[in-house]
Amino acid sequence: MSKLDILLMAWQNLLRRKVRTFLTVLGVLIGTTSIVVMISLGIGLKESITQNMAQWGSLNQITINSFVQFDEEGKPIGEAKALNDNAVEELRSLSGVLAVSPGYEIGGEASWGRRQGYISLVGLDPSQMRQFEFETTRGRLLESEDRFNIVLGGMVGYNFRDPSKPMEPHDEIPWEDRHLDEHNPTIAMVDERITLNVRNNTGRERKFSFNVIGMIDPLKMDRSWNAYAPIEEVKDIRTFIQGNTAKNNRARTDNGYVQGPSSDDYNFIWVQSENIERTKDLSKEIRDMGYQAYSMADNLEGIEETSRIIQAILGGIGAITLFVAAIGIINTMIMSIYERTREIGVMKVIGATFSDIRILFLTEAGLIGLAGGFAGLGLSYLLSFVVNKVTANMFGPGMGAEFAISMIPPWLALFALVFSFFIGLLAGLYPANRAVKISPIEAIRTS
Amino acid sequence: MLNSSDPLVRIKELKKYYRVGDERIEALRGIDLEIPQGEFISIVGTSGSGKSTLLNIMSGLERPTKGEVVIAGARLQKVKERRLSDFRRENIGFIFQSYNLLVQLTALENTVLPLIFRGVGKKDREKRGREILEIVGLSDRMYNKPNQMSGGQQQRVSIARALINRPKIIFADEPTGNLDSKTTEEILELLITTARAHHSTLVMVTHDPAVAKRADRSIHLQDGMIIREERYHHEENR
Ligand SMILES: Nc1ncnc2c1ncn2[C@@H]1O[C@H](COP(=O)(O)OP(=O)(O)O)[C@@H](O)[C@H]1O
Ligand SMILES: [Mg+2]
Repeated sequence: MSKLDILLMAWQNLLRRKVRTFLTVLGVLIGTTSIVVMISLGIGLKESITQNMAQWGSLNQITINSFVQFDEEGKPIGEAKALNDNAVEELRSLSGVLAVSPGYEIGGEASWGRRQGYISLVGLDPSQMRQFEFETTRGRLLESEDRFNIVLGGMVGYNFRDPSKPMEPHDEIPWEDRHLDEHNPTIAMVDERITLNVRNNTGRERKFSFNVIGMIDPLKMDRSWNAYAPIEEVKDIRTFIQGNTAKNNRARTDNGYVQGPSSDDYNFIWVQSENIERTKDLSKEIRDMGYQAYSMADNLEGIEETSRIIQAILGGIGAITLFVAAIGIINTMIMSIYERTREIGVMKVIGATFSDIRILFLTEAGLIGLAGGFAGLGLSYLLSFVVNKVTANMFGPGMGAEFAISMIPPWLALFALVFSFFIGLLAGLYPANRAVKISPIEAIRTS
Repeated sequence: MLNSSDPLVRIKELKKYYRVGDERIEALRGIDLEIPQGEFISIVGTSGSGKSTLLNIMSGLERPTKGEVVIAGARLQKVKERRLSDFRRENIGFIFQSYNLLVQLTALENTVLPLIFRGVGKKDREKRGREILEIVGLSDRMYNKPNQMSGGQQQRVSIARALINRPKIIFADEPTGNLDSKTTEEILELLITTARAHHSTLVMVTHDPAVAKRADRSIHLQDGMIIREERYHHEENR
């Protein structure tokens, strides 16, 4: 029997009992839809969370802070290892580490032309800047030879204003739109000089001037309010601020944190890992070594776990539905064989082989599965579209055009079709075997 | 290979027992029969005498309990279950009392069904189907479903279906049992002439003595045994 004839005959047989076929297909449809929508939610959720988190900081970066928390009596809680060059070496030797940079962080008043403002200055190893996924929208990043050069975060310009003018043009622009502002004042700062005014604890004042050589994408939220300069320059400023007092003991700051064992210790060390998977492990390894390490990827672990649980629950519901649908197919096929006993007998008498009969019934069951798969996939696309529309409206357009809580990648669509077809085939195995075993004379005798 | 002088059917000491509970029913109790190629043989007997059982065994639908059945050179006991359908498709045409057409198929589709199982292409098989339906006088009913046809017309389709594979032997189990006398005569005439035209051997079960007399030879069955055999000579048959 040719494949086309089998297909046609199976198709005609399914059409003979339209309502029953439809109801059976409906079962597969619901099962497939549940599974596809559920997997798509899992994928979409994880994907959009990853994308959103990446805005708030690189998922490949681990930050190690020197801050030690103190109890009410001023004793340190727990132990934090000193952030010095030994620590840098130790961290650099870990596997999967692409780059390590120590850093200092200071803040101070600054001026840009007639404008006054505040700047939060971060000192980094200038040769490592590129490795830490910094990207400029104007100018360039720091290089090893740079000295009194500085790269600004994309929003730094908003911190400056001319004291003689009551309003700056950008004051009109609402905050949530400022990172998109074409008139971002930071742009105008590139290639200009800014001057930092610092005062140490003995009351002495000093000015440090920097050339602005670049500006970072304002969309990088975690970096948009800082300015980045070579570490040696920032260290000098820091030494000046600390004066003599810093040398002998820890300087207590306003917020209850106290800096590490030596005043020369770095404020933080950044570690860049080779990929997100490695970041999670590295972050933990570094914590186990006694550092206070933190990474955006740490949160990812929890989110992934949640996403996995949601996927498992939803997928489970889908699997149960499909299982019930498979029983539906078996039931339909057995009923159909029962009704068609005589017909099967006649076909055998006039020359249908065992395999003709088996393949015919397997095809009918497979077609039910495939039809349910196609219909279910169609419905899934529709549901996915609706869910994305609704959530996009709920969370607002701030999430970006890419935001989709339900995603059906091509592999999922293909998987749904193949899977539902195989469910059909599998459900058809037992009924088909029963059909093969029907004895022709007994079938003909039953009238 | 089958020699032309060999009989097409050779049955020796054929016995068929059924077991129903503790009881043994002896449907056939030792049948010896040879049917030469091209013969038209009728099997008569009262209801329950074993006519259908004999026919079913000859066509490979049932296994004998004892004895030997050789059809077209094939020793049926030796043929495996799954090969029997091939055997039937190659050698046998079957006509039932109750037509047994597939209700969802048209006359043409029913007719060509054996060719579908053979894997013959749609164009070829429909051409042959039309030719044969024309021979059985149904050129105007090709696209009718069974429920749109009379009993006589349905039996014509079933004859066309039995002939389409050009079988060596046609088994007909009371083919006119459900038909009135006028239609019986037409169907019988058709069956005899077409079987002859196709050089097919025809084995027909009937309990109508008038129908039985149309054959070359008639076998009388009673309680699973052949009790009598008659030969008839018809000028128009030869
Ligand atoms: N499958 C079966 N199981 C039990 N008994 C059977 C079976 N088939 C036929 N018989 C019995 O065998 C005998 C012959 O039956 P059958 O060949 O159908 O007779 P006929 O066709 O001459 O009327 C009957 O007594 C019948 O009841
Ligand atoms: Mg009978």
